[in-house]
This record gives sequence, structure tokens and C-alpha cells, in this order.
Amino acid sequence: MSNTVMKIENLQAKIGDKQILKGLNLELEAGKVHAIMGPNGAGKSTLSKALVGHYDIEVLGGDIIYKGKSIVEMEAEERALEGIFLSFQHPVEIPGVNNAYFLRTALNAKRKHEGKEELNAAEFLREMKKHLEMLGMKSDMISRSLNEGFSGGEKKRNEILQMLILEPEVIILDEIDSGLDIDALRAVSEGINKMKDGKRTFLVITHYSRILDYIEPDYIHVLKDGKVIKTAGPELVSQLEEHGYDAIEEE
Amino acid sequence: MNLIDLKHKNPQEVTDLLGAKEREMLVERFVSLGLPSKKSEEYRYFDVEKVLDKAYETLNYVPKTLEVSDKIEIVDGVVVAAPQGMRIYNEACQQIDMDHFDPMYYLGHLLCPQTIKIELDGDTEVEIEHTYTQSDTLIHYRIVLYNQANRHATVYENFICEDIENTLVLYGYDMHIAQDSTLRVVKMQSMQDNHYAMIASHKVNVAKNANAILKSFDLGGDQALQLLKVELLEHAHVDAGHLLYLNADSKRGTVSQIVHVSEHSTSKQEAKNILDGEARGIFDALIRVEHSAKYTKAEQNSKSILLHDKAYMASKPQLEIYIDELEASHGATTGQLDPKQLFYLQSRGISYVEARKMLVIAFANTLIEEVKDTRQQERIKSAFEAVFYKNT
Ligand SMILES: Nc1ncnc2c1ncn2[C@@H]1O[C@H](COP(=O)(O)OP(=O)(O)O)[C@@H](O)[C@H]1O
Ligand SMILES: [Mg+2]
Repeated sequence: MSNTVMKIENLQAKIGDKQILKGLNLELEAGKVHAIMGPNGAGKSTLSKALVGHYDIEVLGGDIIYKGKSIVEMEAEERALEGIFLSFQHPVEIPGVNNAYFLRTALNAKRKHEGKEELNAAEFLREMKKHLEMLGMKSDMISRSLNEGFSGGEKKRNEILQMLILEPEVIILDEIDSGLDIDALRAVSEGINKMKDGKRTFLVITHYSRILDYIEPDYIHVLKDGKVIKTAGPELVSQLEEHGYDAIEEE
Repeated sequence: MNLIDLKHKNPQEVTDLLGAKEREMLVERFVSLGLPSKKSEEYRYFDVEKVLDKAYETLNYVPKTLEVSDKIEIVDGVVVAAPQGMRIYNEACQQIDMDHFDPMYYLGHLLCPQTIKIELDGDTEVEIEHTYTQSDTLIHYRIVLYNQANRHATVYENFICEDIENTLVLYGYDMHIAQDSTLRVVKMQSMQDNHYAMIASHKVNVAKNANAILKSFDLGGDQALQLLKVELLEHAHVDAGHLLYLNADSKRGTVSQIVHVSEHSTSKQEAKNILDGEARGIFDALIRVEHSAKYTKAEQNSKSILLHDKAYMASKPQLEIYIDELEASHGATTGQLDPKQLFYLQSRGISYVEARKMLVIAFANTLIEEVKDTRQQERIKSAFEAVFYKNT
């Protein structure tokens, strides 16, 4: 691939004493939408956590090369500052941390990293307004505690809001559509599509093809038992729907 | 003066040592409780002998003509300034509790024949600022606080000190909260670098239908203990909240007794403790419901977060109940910061140090946000951050 932004080579990783990723290879082409599909328990969330440096995951072998550098040893906050973003399958609730304060702290950490001026509360709120409208989020959602008492849909919108603010380069969306009603799905997809600018790269993780009607993928990768077993174009989606994952043979 | 000299002395010897003639009852109480030591129930988690056993300088307490200020300023135990019209007197304390659990309450009274009496007028809001300027000194003073019936007053207490060392402060309140009134006392004390140690021994009398709201914010790395006895009459209510954020080798906290004396009294006591370094937090809190206090409601809770494996929390909520007709609950939990929450913040580019700070403040926030005055709230938050960053 000529324009690779991230290359995962023979990645092996475990959670506890259980090896989950068993020599996974995947290349992400800059500016494209990659979908990862696979049955429950295949290791999709584990892969996404490995990419952002989650403490649950122990990398046993292989490498993750991002913009030409290995990031396996990098701290999570560094990876984030370098432009990798994960929208969590299950975002945590943090009572007592004000959402707006959190969002501004995250944005300012990023701006500082890029040598830009930090934004004060008023400037920040102005920035936020347009995003909130587009995502159909009530403005009180950012004055509440981070994710506390949010519905499933609200949590996912809040993830997308963070993505819009932080403007990452590699965006990993883990089951972004799970638990969303049609309105929320539309709003979330609109947010995601807005970020497509031909440079940002998306890794859309799903075990269910519905989201791919809204975010058109360029590539489909099938993940099964800790490995990517097939890579193809978007035409693979309908084939998977018809025959399921069992029909896919490892390439 | 070395307070350890008072150890195992008989009433006559104590009277002579303290020059406390005609105060036999107090001497009696002090001697029967005994100077606190490692073995005293109330002081067992606190290195009391370390702070008592020193040869301290003493001061003369001469009342001063008061300057006008926007707050009550007490320097080394003497009031030097107050808002215009504030009623402040130097006089002997009229109502001393003869059944307090704390010997230092009696020692305080014995050392302070004259107390600072403050009468709060109407719906006042006043700040009391305590300043300490002397090293190697025993500073002792007591405050007697009255408010008015049907009125709602607030006191903000703050503490500052000059670059002193090895001083011991003994102070405390006798508060008389009048019928149908509310008195809110918010104490903020950040102590660092061994400037001074403190033993504060209080008594709070809450009259019929009155509310006592007592919030303490104790931050830093030094040694201090607050001992608090609250008595609740009919339909009286106390809402006590204690935030501890300790580091270094601090031993600090609250020893309290909330006594439900009459029917339908209610109490709520909440402690939140964040302990770093080798700090030891203390929450030794008894709620006593007497025979005469039917239909009491009492709720007590202590939550602690240990940020370091050498930190330790001595949490001891206790109920002592002499009747059946009541609702009471208590509990204590101790844990660490939630790694999932920490990771979430870090995965958004927030540094480990900032993420920890956010979570620590979040834990404390329920108590901090109860301080309605935004200036005082900011003061607590920035003191919090100062201690936090000093430590990381
Ligand atoms: N924290 C964990 N501790 C132990 N096992 C885990 C943990 N998280 C996931 N697993 C196991 O790892 C395997 C892959 O899980 P996951 O990556 O979440 O799959 P997917 O996202 O594809 O459904 C599953 O067998 C799951 O039970
Ligand atoms: Mg998953």
C-alpha cells in the first residue's frame, strides 16, 4: 500500500493469561474507511484497545507502526496526542468530572502539544455550540458529569463530540452503532462523515453491517479468532450477511 | 511550658502548674480524663505525645483595640480586627460542657480563662481568619459563638501562617446555635511543611429546631486533630462533612461524638478521605442516641481513597443506641482510583498527573460544591491544587 498511516504486523496480545490476538496483520490506508467485521469474541475490541495502549492488554509480539514509528511502548496519552482516537464500546461514567471541563482539558492538552494557544472557557463554549447542534445534543449535556446517567445514545454522541473536538487522524470506532436508535445513528454518522476529509483514516469495528449503510467503507476486513482472515472491497458486506462468517476461508 | 508535665498529676499539682485557682471542676474533669497519650482512646491514631512533649514559649493574651476589616482577624490568639459593628467581647466562658469526652477541651478552658465571644447578628456571613506568626510557641485560645434565633448565619474559617516552625495551636469553639436558626461553619485549613500542629476541641449545642452545618476541609501534610462534640435537642439537625486530603507523613482527621439528646433530632455525617504518601487519616466518629431521643434519624458514612500503598485510613464509624424507635445507618469504604476512569481520561490526551487530579477532585467535589459561596469554593479548589501539585 502506497499511503499507509498505520501498519499492524503479526500482533500477538493477551488479556490476563488468555492470548486473544494471534498474529494479526492489518494495514490502514490514509484517508480511507476500513471496516473490521467479525463474530462476537473474535478480538475486535481487544485490537482497538491494543492500538490505544489499554492497560488490560499485554503485547506479546509483533508491532504497531504509526506514521513510520512503533507505538507499542508509547503511553496512552501520547498516542492520543499523536492523533489516535478510540470511541469506546462502553464509555465509562465519571461522576464529579464536569463534561465541559473534561472536553476543554482534553482539547487544551492537544493544542498545547501542537504549540497552539489554549482556549478559555468562553472561547471553548463557542467552538462547542455548532458540534452540539449537529449531534442533536442538548447543551445541558456538557454541564453534567462526564457520561453520568447518560443513555447509550447520549454516551455515543458524547464520544463523537470528543472526536469532533480533538480532530484525530486515525479514528477507531468500536461498535459505535450498538444500542442506537435511528435518530442517534443518523446524528452519529453525520458527525463521522463530517470528519472525512480524505486525510483522516477510519477503523469502523462492528459485528453488524447496519452502520456501513451510513458510513461507506473502502475496505472490509474480517477478524476471526484473533487474526484478520480476509480483506476485500465493500461488496463483501452482502456476502457476509448472506453466508455468515463461517463461510469465510482464511486467505 | 511543656504540656507533658501535666501527665499523671493530681488536681492540686495541675492547679498550681496552670495557675487555675477557683476552677476546681474543670481541673477535676481534666485530671479524671488525663492528659492524652498513645493509650487514650480518642488520640490513639494521632502522635499526641510528639506534639505535647516540647518546651513551648508562651504568650500574653492582651486584648487589642480592633481595626476595621472585612473579616474577623485573629493573630496568635488575639482578635486584632473585625467588621464594623461586629459584637466581639473578651470574657469568661459561661457555659462549659462538663461532660465532654476530650481532656484537651478542659485543658483549653483551663489555659484560657478569657475567651473570645462572638455574637452573630441576624443573617450574617462572616469570615474568621486565624494567623500564626510565632515559632516554637504554644498558642491557645477559645472562641464562644452565639447566633440569633430564627436567623441563618454563615462563618468561613481560614488559616494562614508565617514562615514559622514547631508551634502548637490549641483552640476550639463553644457554639450555641439558637432555636429555629441555622449556623453554617465552613473551615478550610491547608497545612504544609511542619509550620504548626493543631488540636482543636469543639462543643456545639444545637437548640430546638436549629440546624448546624459544619463542613471542614483539611488539606496538606501536617499533624492536626479536630475533636467535636455535638448535642442535638428536639428537632435539631446537624449536617457534618469532613474532607481530608493528606500527604507526606500527616496524621490528621476528626474524632467526633454526635449526641442525640431529644426526640426527632437528625444527623448526617459524611467523611471523604484522600490519602497520599504515608499519611494517616482519622475518622473516629460516634453517634450516640440517648433514651430521651426517640424518632432520631442518624446517617453516617466514610469513603476513602488511597493513592499510595503506604497511606492508611483509620475509619471507625460507631453507633451507640439506647432506644428502638430510630432510623440509623453507617458505613465505611476504602478503595483506589478507578483505573478505567483514569484510562478514559488519558486516552483523550490528558496526562496521568492531570487525570489523577481530576478524579481526586471529582471524589471531593460533592463536598466542595456544597460550599455555595463561589469565592470560598475557589479558595478550597486552589488550595487543593496547591497541595496536589506540590506532591507530584
Ligand atoms: N478484560 C478481559 N478479561 C478477560 N478476558 C477478556 C477481557 N476482555 C475480553 N476478554 C476475552 O477476550 C476475547 C475477545 O474479546 P473482545 O476483544 O471483546 O471481542 P469482540 O470485541 O470481537 O467481541 C473474548 O473471549 C473475551 O471473553
Ligand atoms: Mg467488542
